[in-house]
Amino acid sequence: MRWLRRLLHKSSVEAQLDNELRFHLEQQIADYVSAGMSPAEARRVALLEFGGLERVKEEVRDTKWEMHLDSLVRDFRFAIRTLRKDPRFSLVAILTLAFGISATTVMFSVVYNLRFDPFPYKGADRLATISIHSLKQTGDTDGDRDSFTMPEFLDYRQQNHVFEDMIGSYNDMVLFKKGDGTTMFGAAVVTANTFDFYGIPPLLGRGITLDDAKPDAPPVFVLNYKIWKSDFNADPSIVGKSFLVDGKQRTLVGVMPPRFQASSGRLWIPLGLRPNAEGANLVGNIPARLWAVGRLKPGTSFQAATAEFEALAKNHSKVYPKDYPEQFSVSVRSLMETSMGDFKFMLYALFGAVAILLLIACSNVANLLFAKATVREQEIAVRVSLGAPRSRLIRQLLLESFVLAGMACVVGCILAYFGLEGISATIPSDPLPDEAVIGLRPVVFLFALGIALFTTVICGLAPALHTLRGNLHERLMGSGKGVNASFRQGALRGALVVAQVALSVVLLAGTGLLTRSFMALTHIDLGFDPKPILFAELHVPEDRHQTPEEEKEFLRQVLLRVKALPGVNSATVALSLPPVWGIYSDATVPGKTHADPWFTRYDLCSEGFFETLGLHLQRGRVLSESEIASRSHVAVVNETLAKRFFPGEDPIGKRFKLNFLDEIPNAPHDAYFEVVGVVRDFGNWDVRKSPLPEALLPYTILASAQKRILLARTAVPPTSLLPAVRREVWAVDSNMAITSTGTLQELLSLFSYTQPRFDVITSGAFAGIGLLLVVIGIFSLMAYVVSLHTHEIGIRMALGATKGSILKIFLAKGLRLVAVGVAIGFLTSLALTRFLASQLWGISATDTLTLTSVMVIMVLFGAVACLVPARRAADVDPNVALRYE
Amino acid sequence: MDGKPEFLKGTLDLVILKIVALGPCHGYAIAQRLRQISKDYFQVHQGSLYPALHRLEDRGLLQADWRDTDTGREAKFYALTKKGQKHLETERFEWERLTEAVALILRAVE
Repeated sequence: MRWLRRLLHKSSVEAQLDNELRFHLEQQIADYVSAGMSPAEARRVALLEFGGLERVKEEVRDTKWEMHLDSLVRDFRFAIRTLRKDPRFSLVAILTLAFGISATTVMFSVVYNLRFDPFPYKGADRLATISIHSLKQTGDTDGDRDSFTMPEFLDYRQQNHVFEDMIGSYNDMVLFKKGDGTTMFGAAVVTANTFDFYGIPPLLGRGITLDDAKPDAPPVFVLNYKIWKSDFNADPSIVGKSFLVDGKQRTLVGVMPPRFQASSGRLWIPLGLRPNAEGANLVGNIPARLWAVGRLKPGTSFQAATAEFEALAKNHSKVYPKDYPEQFSVSVRSLMETSMGDFKFMLYALFGAVAILLLIACSNVANLLFAKATVREQEIAVRVSLGAPRSRLIRQLLLESFVLAGMACVVGCILAYFGLEGISATIPSDPLPDEAVIGLRPVVFLFALGIALFTTVICGLAPALHTLRGNLHERLMGSGKGVNASFRQGALRGALVVAQVALSVVLLAGTGLLTRSFMALTHIDLGFDPKPILFAELHVPEDRHQTPEEEKEFLRQVLLRVKALPGVNSATVALSLPPVWGIYSDATVPGKTHADPWFTRYDLCSEGFFETLGLHLQRGRVLSESEIASRSHVAVVNETLAKRFFPGEDPIGKRFKLNFLDEIPNAPHDAYFEVVGVVRDFGNWDVRKSPLPEALLPYTILASAQKRILLARTAVPPTSLLPAVRREVWAVDSNMAITSTGTLQELLSLFSYTQPRFDVITSGAFAGIGLLLVVIGIFSLMAYVVSLHTHEIGIRMALGATKGSILKIFLAKGLRLVAVGVAIGFLTSLALTRFLASQLWGISATDTLTLTSVMVIMVLFGAVACLVPARRAADVDPNVALRYE
Repeated sequence: MDGKPEFLKGTLDLVILKIVALGPCHGYAIAQRLRQISKDYFQVHQGSLYPALHRLEDRGLLQADWRDTDTGREAKFYALTKKGQKHLETERFEWERLTEAVALILRAVE
């Protein structure tokens, strides 16, 4: 504890040291005197020999760490004092760094959470999905699929050697009766090994077990956390109770923790892998296909698994040739990759953007510190000549930037917290795994700390070293304003600004491209206007509409009532939601053969469909009321279908068949439909791609569908009519469940625009902050340059220079840097934007208009940033400037 | 230390420990004895001596206390601790091995 005592009794330690050294000196003098010197001479010689009491003391102090601590505290106080002396500088530096740190922290959190820890499951990095791709690229994704028929799934599961285990599931909407009414939940019907497979213990009760899939097992289900909280008030006593799920009594056996989201189910129902087993393998009227997830055996690569499944699928395609494209490949990819898709490129691009931002912030602060160090050259030169050790000065300069970085880190973390809240709100949930949680993590705090330290070293050391290098004498002779500062250093600062401008141009270019792409995307001509179209999904309880006549009568009455509502122009029933959601089938045309499936979208509608969507008839006529009523096998097709099925022929009167109808029990089998009309193409699937062939058939051909969609074109804001529509539907049949509602525009926005909008907002935010930082950077450099040249300006003006010419000199100086930066940024953008290509639509990655406007914007902002200091230069009063020294 | 060789790194500590091992003494006396014993070969400067003494004290190899000298003035006397004793022995052994080895090599080259 000696050190503690010494620390607390610093003055006594100092006194003792003084006493010890004085004793040494006295002894020396005494020795010289006894050797015959005069006392005065002895003293002089001894002092000379001793070489400065204070210096020896300083060297002794240096051996003791508590002295280091002490001087560290003093340096720390000094650093704070220095920073407070110049609050504007400190504020700009801290905020600049804080922006850089917070943006990096936020993006690091997002990337870390989504890329490295999206799934909480057992062996999450070995989870794999299987997909089949057609090799004949006809532009469409005909025949590509990642789900499998029941026999296919069973064969794959039994015959493969690469998976430890494999699960299958399909999603279905189920009606859920609880107390006061009926709601609808997205259920995942899962193979009974799913819960073991993922290895997540349930929050309450139990998961689904293998016993639940046995033929005589009592029906059960498991609930997810979100629904348990939102719809059941997190009531633990509901486990063990029985509920009516899709008309069947099921016992709730467990609740899963928040991050268990297998197959995106809100509730999970066991699937028996036999025909007619529990979890009937039909979605509506369509045989379900299972989406499969396997866990690779440890040490097995995705390539090996791909090869294995390729072979399995080849064998299988010989038995079931109908299920496979003629030529196909199989790929086994990680679950993470499939659930993120292209979005991960965007995350990387954003991470790159953030790294650029951090670089700009750091170089900005380095520049500020450079400017400051130059101004402080004389102070430092004086301290060095008075004997301050260089290590001490470097430490002090480093400490100063460390204080800056520390404060920036605190502010940055606060900003990061709010930034993360913001990004969690805007981030599209669609491309992200449901299991991913975006939150600030301890590791991220460490990361921020790391950045702060890194910044300290980078920003602090360079000016510190520069200040201490070179000729001290010259510095002491200087005017104290660093006029003698070497040109080389000025060049370095200039280079930093050039780099900032270039980086900012790259950010702006990326954002510009994403924005233009987003604009192009939202201005696609769909062939119809989705804004005034209201939709409502009608779910038919199983005990309703036993006969097709009953259903037809119900829908006819609903349509009549809805059409009669004030504000409704027309209404129709349908089975799909154009352009977002639809149903597809292969097609057959008599006398024509085709190797690849003719992927056709079809809809079952009433005569009002064409008017409701506002489709343009090109040939023939639309479906008539009597054709709907009589279940005629007639169809209206779009141009693409006409061109593809009947090239160079008159399509009217031609016949075709939709093969998939054969597989639906209550649809007409082996039915050929006669074309009675052709409508202009309209957006009917991915809005970024050309339309698919589409056939519009009378809805009455499918008897008793479980789900119908009601579409209404309105003259008033569509959603304002919702209560009225509901009332009319329930007036006809109060047991009808109306589930999802909204406008087609909202759906489109949700499905097609969410991710591009996120891209634009986040990259826009980064580019905006980047631009702001660069403007600050240019401004502070120019202001500094002007302040250095005040004397020179005075002389020039005294010699007759006009304000205009001074303005021009400084404006040109700044703009030269900006121009070089813009040029470099332009070239870098050309090289880098192609990495964004997968996120762009409708424009090229080197779009001239975007890049040109970005350069113009940068030059404009650069000019404004230069103009203020340049005007200050022009306003210099020569009298004041010359007297200034 | 004009014209005199610099202390080899680490040897100053060893020499100080040895001198203090002969009996407790103050800084000035250490400097004097160093000079006398080495026949004026080593002239250690205060700027090296005192930091070294304080360092050895902090490491627990030396212990110091204030005592009166013959002249009655109070001075800081340094004495060897047990740890210092042990340290001195090992360091001395190492030093002898080193010099011996160096001497062997030099002789062999001649």
